[in-house]
Amino acid sequence: MRKELDNEGFIKKVFREYYVEWRGEPPKDFRRREFAFMISRKGEMIRHKAFEEWSEVKEFLRRNSPLHVYYSSAYYAQPSVPDMDAKEWMGADLIFDIDVDHMYTPCKEQHDKWTCLDCSTAGNGMPPEACPKCSSKRVEAKTWFCEKCLEVAKEETIKLVEDFLIQDFGFSPQEISIVFSGRRGFHIHVESDVVRGLDQRARREIVDYVKGTGLVMQDKKRKVLAPPLNAGGWPGRIAKGVYELLNSNNVEEPLNLKGGPKIEEAIKAIIKGLEEAQDYWPLEGIARRVWLKAVEKVITYKRCEVDERVTTDIKRLIRLPGTLHGGTGLIATKVPLRDMESFDPYLHAVAFVKGEAKVKILNMPRITFLDQTWGPYNNEVAEVPLGLAVYLICSENAVVVGEEVEDA
Amino acid sequence: MIFSKLDAATYPFISLASKLVKELEESLGINAILSPESEVLRRSVERIREAAYSRVTSVYKRDLDVEILSHPVALLLIKHINNARLVNVYAEAEKNRVLVSLLKEDYEKLMSLAVDGFNWHVKREEDRFLVRFDDYLKTSVNMLDAYWKLVNRKLVNGYVELPRKDFSRLLAEAYRIRISERANQAEEVQIHSVLKPIIEELDKEFQGILPKVDVYTMYVDKYEPSAFPPCISRLLEEAEQGKNLPHMARFTLATFLISVGKRPEELLDIFRKMPDFDENKTLYHLKHIAGEVGSRTRYSPPSCVTLRTFGLCSADDALCQRVKHPLTYYSKKLKLLKRGELEKRAR
Repeated sequence: MRKELDNEGFIKKVFREYYVEWRGEPPKDFRRREFAFMISRKGEMIRHKAFEEWSEVKEFLRRNSPLHVYYSSAYYAQPSVPDMDAKEWMGADLIFDIDVDHMYTPCKEQHDKWTCLDCSTAGNGMPPEACPKCSSKRVEAKTWFCEKCLEVAKEETIKLVEDFLIQDFGFSPQEISIVFSGRRGFHIHVESDVVRGLDQRARREIVDYVKGTGLVMQDKKRKVLAPPLNAGGWPGRIAKGVYELLNSNNVEEPLNLKGGPKIEEAIKAIIKGLEEAQDYWPLEGIARRVWLKAVEKVITYKRCEVDERVTTDIKRLIRLPGTLHGGTGLIATKVPLRDMESFDPYLHAVAFVKGEAKVKILNMPRITFLDQTWGPYNNEVAEVPLGLAVYLICSENAVVVGEEVEDA
Repeated sequence: MIFSKLDAATYPFISLASKLVKELEESLGINAILSPESEVLRRSVERIREAAYSRVTSVYKRDLDVEILSHPVALLLIKHINNARLVNVYAEAEKNRVLVSLLKEDYEKLMSLAVDGFNWHVKREEDRFLVRFDDYLKTSVNMLDAYWKLVNRKLVNGYVELPRKDFSRLLAEAYRIRISERANQAEEVQIHSVLKPIIEELDKEFQGILPKVDVYTMYVDKYEPSAFPPCISRLLEEAEQGKNLPHMARFTLATFLISVGKRPEELLDIFRKMPDFDENKTLYHLKHIAGEVGSRTRYSPPSCVTLRTFGLCSADDALCQRVKHPLTYYSKKLKLLKRGELEKRAR
């Protein structure tokens, strides 16, 4: 008997092929971690799994070819006990999530669409929290990860790793892994004894640090002091940022200030002050006002846009590096820092690089996949590389046509 | 660095102090230490009273053995008096005492105290200390002033730069945390019979001056919007204007209002103007927060630290500087208002 292969069946088939030869590396102390799996789209998450041998993990993946594979950032004495308190938390890695979903990128207006599932109102760009017409929260988004989005995510990730994690927090590059999330961003894992035991409050302080939240520019007497250029941490970052900003040609617009001889004088005074100062120095009058405006601006581009919920959660499940993302079919692959600039998810994170498949594509903007340009497609059947077909089917932008398999 | 006996009496957190306590316990015997006429017991009770009445303890230099032993004995008594307020007051008083001494110490001594007492990773650079950020955070998270936020410190290569004075303050705070942790640790020790009457006496004595209240589980059954902290007043105003508030803002508003006696049904009108209002869903959420459905836990409003992280803090008055929780603000403000009214009436 022959049976038509549906989308789910197609995904299962290709995922199984991927996991047959899977060679993923274990996270640090994997025996102390909880593992979790989504086997099928409608099924429940299988949680509280723990493994004594890494080969058992491989075996599990081979047998079940799950859509999503997660492990706990936390280390537990009893990782397989379902009761979270009885698991006995022993510490956790420090995780950062940089996701374009939470960031504004101008290109979203062009490639992202949303639809209200209740009243069918639709629009372009970032999905609203609730439908503007009927207030329903059931808003479905169709998003794409274009080159501009990728650039934003990369920049943010490099900034986090180089400026904050290495320079300020002093982690060694070996303790940091950057992992493509499988969709529209990166996960940054820090496996270090220094952070293991930190509680939620301490992690919140770390988040506030990288996001520049709570920076105070005035001392208790409301005096404003400018730090010297060679200061460390945020003070130095601000001094250098302001120096660069005020030295650039277009100062008035970012500062939202109307020019004038007094403003120009103040700008010159600040630049000179920064060049000469060896220690903190006071700012007054117009210079104080210009300085505070400039600082505000500098913080917005020196800060790092991370999702605070992920970092402050000490019992979080996070995608296992090397496994497939069920919503894209792409590999959540580790990306060495030196390869970040050239990283292309539609080339380096593609699991299925050989073969083609014929699919009916509902909607797809023009994208570059495996170094070739495809689309745009709108409700048409096309033969595309297998990797792209998997991507489109997983993200529900295409359906399989014509492929048949022997019924087992 | 080699510490002296005086150091052990002044800084009970160093390892020499615990070593001496153990030695003295062995040589004197626990019965002698806790006998009714014992000088140690007298001094321990005195310590606690000093803390309760003057908010700072003293150092008893006449007999260092007695002083060294009085630290653990005082803690033992406090543990059994079971008054959360007393624990805080005592820890604070000890911190104040230690801070005065620390401010007089030289660099080398300060560094040794931090390493020996708290295993901090510390370096010295000219007139500043460098403390590894994890050691810094474990203590600084308890210090509410924005001055202590990591973002406002110089952090380079994993180390936080601190001037000497701040280093001493951080160290004193670490000691305060240790005391309150030790005092709150559950321990099943048979209370020595000599201690029972003392514990009862102190318990009674402090009930009047140090009421047993825990603000975080407080339920102030009085609805007085004029006493609301600025963050809550602002959120309430925004909700009434029909602004689409983020989740955390709604949660804060709902938990606060429920904590001051509002019923979930009464809150519906506040959320009604939100663009995505759904009566059934909102009521369910409110009941959940109130502990009437679901997990049956009543949720408390987030603390000031959390509100600050979520950008919901609008601290703009002097009282904000003195509290760590919106509910504490509310109860303090209520008292202030009441006092103001009484004064008006008296006039």
